[in-house]
Amino acid sequence: MYNIENNKIIFDNSFLLTDIDSFIDDLKKYGTNISSVQIDLSKVETFDNSVLAVVNSLIKKKYQFLLSEKLITEIKIFDKLISFNEKETVVTSGFENLVLRVNDFFSQITSFIVLSADIFSYSIKAIFRKEGRRKGSIYEQILLMGNNAVPIVFLLAFLIGLILSLQSAAQLRQFGANIYLVDLIVISMITEMGPMITAIIVAGRSGSAIAAEISTMQITEELDALKVMALNPLKYVVAPKMIAMTISLPILTVFANIIGILGGFIIAVIYLELSPVVFFNRAVGVMTLSFWWQSMLKSVLFSWLIVLIGAHFGFNVKGGAEGVGKATTASVVAAIFAVIMTDALLSIIFYFDF
Amino acid sequence: MDNIIKIKNLVAKYDTKIILDNISLSIKKKEIFIILGSSGGGKTTLLKHIIGLIKPVAGTIDIFGQEVTKMEDDKFDKVLTQIGMLFQGGALINSMKVWENVAMPLEQHTKLLPNIIRDLVKHKLSLVNLEHAYNLYPSELSGGMKKRVALARAIAMDPKILFFDEPSAGLDPITALELDELILELKKNLGITLVIVTHELESIKRIADRIIYLQKGKAIFIGTLEEARVENIDEINRFFGWNK
Repeated sequence: MYNIENNKIIFDNSFLLTDIDSFIDDLKKYGTNISSVQIDLSKVETFDNSVLAVVNSLIKKKYQFLLSEKLITEIKIFDKLISFNEKETVVTSGFENLVLRVNDFFSQITSFIVLSADIFSYSIKAIFRKEGRRKGSIYEQILLMGNNAVPIVFLLAFLIGLILSLQSAAQLRQFGANIYLVDLIVISMITEMGPMITAIIVAGRSGSAIAAEISTMQITEELDALKVMALNPLKYVVAPKMIAMTISLPILTVFANIIGILGGFIIAVIYLELSPVVFFNRAVGVMTLSFWWQSMLKSVLFSWLIVLIGAHFGFNVKGGAEGVGKATTASVVAAIFAVIMTDALLSIIFYFDF
Repeated sequence: MDNIIKIKNLVAKYDTKIILDNISLSIKKKEIFIILGSSGGGKTTLLKHIIGLIKPVAGTIDIFGQEVTKMEDDKFDKVLTQIGMLFQGGALINSMKVWENVAMPLEQHTKLLPNIIRDLVKHKLSLVNLEHAYNLYPSELSGGMKKRVALARAIAMDPKILFFDEPSAGLDPITALELDELILELKKNLGITLVIVTHELESIKRIADRIIYLQKGKAIFIGTLEEARVENIDEINRFFGWNK
């Protein structure tokens, strides 16, 4: 506690954390005129570390103090303890940083390719040999990644088909080209929207789950435990997911294609007043096998990308719980990016019939 | 063939920092060998090298008389099936029940029938006094229980060597004592060699046959506790609180 007499702030024998706030407020009343005030701490014997910090910084600001012996020694010790440099010693220039980042990117790509090759070889082996993977794990994963995604994939594919045809129908109608809506919706659903929408949903659902599961296992040493039990994590954890995804995503895509076309069908019948029979006949006429091949090829590639990218970010996790979050986010962003890039690339290739 | 593990001139680096500097040691059959030392001294790194989770920069590691550092994966897997390891946090597979965790190595590496595996799992769980945890998930267990389940899993394949990474860290003194008794029993009844990383003084005094003391990646002492006392090394005296 303290008293204020004229230009003096005089403390009794204690100065504690609880006094600091009012002390600072009182000190502020003197404004910038530091020399006009004297702080008398010569009787203070009981004090906190926070008091040392405050007094130390005020001394450095040239406030006038009268200190007790005990305070003088303690402040010296305090000042010595805080005198280390907290700044990071390694300072890299902008250019060095760029080089490091590019380097890091390429080493990530290399490790991704190596990991992918390993996962492929283990997955192919896992199809034929049951050793090293859990019984029923493929079935379980198909349920998890395929079956449980059915409602959301159906709903979104239906809506996409509906919106796509609604927007196009308005334009086509002006030219009286109503019947071409069938071509548009069938081709775009099967070759583009179906595989892509399904892959994006599954990347968000299961790609993130794969990254989260593997990165958590990495952090809790579960992967190390598997290795020490002579179980390869790629075989035991990733291969079942890879196989399950390769099976489920194409099946989901087939459903998405059909449901999307159904969305278009509803617009065609209600808004464009096409007869259902005409729609059906036209649709079957347009739907060549090669479109379906494209669709399936895309969805198989997408399924691999989703698992491989999820696994890559899962295995390369750094840090604790925060790292899991980062890995999961990064994997979803990367997977969706990869899916759209691949889709664009393949579409160009197919369009020009390379 | 008295030595079950032989390490020669092992060097480990992390980037450019040397973690283990030219470590050589042998571990005898049926002994309890304790790895200890100051924090960041390289204890866990040494353990991870022996079980092959990290490959050394230089040096050789012999387990059961076979050089393992350059061994092919298939062959090393055979070595690993004779090894058990207990991780610090247990490292149980969280998506599987307790009994599935313990059964996992048996299911994967043996052709035993499911009912026999189940009996073996029950036996191991009884050994660690966790019969009631059979159908629980790891997330439903306390820290000490997780460690005991992990121990049951580690001994499921009746390994010849068992590795522990800080078994009694985070356990109360009574549970730690029980764990030590369990360790001594394993050594006596099953003839297992145990390699343990720990810095629980009481525990070391109770169970250690021989110790290695690592300081900044160097082995400053290998031998029994009595020998350590005679050698009178400053660092170790301070660690055990021995007066000079």
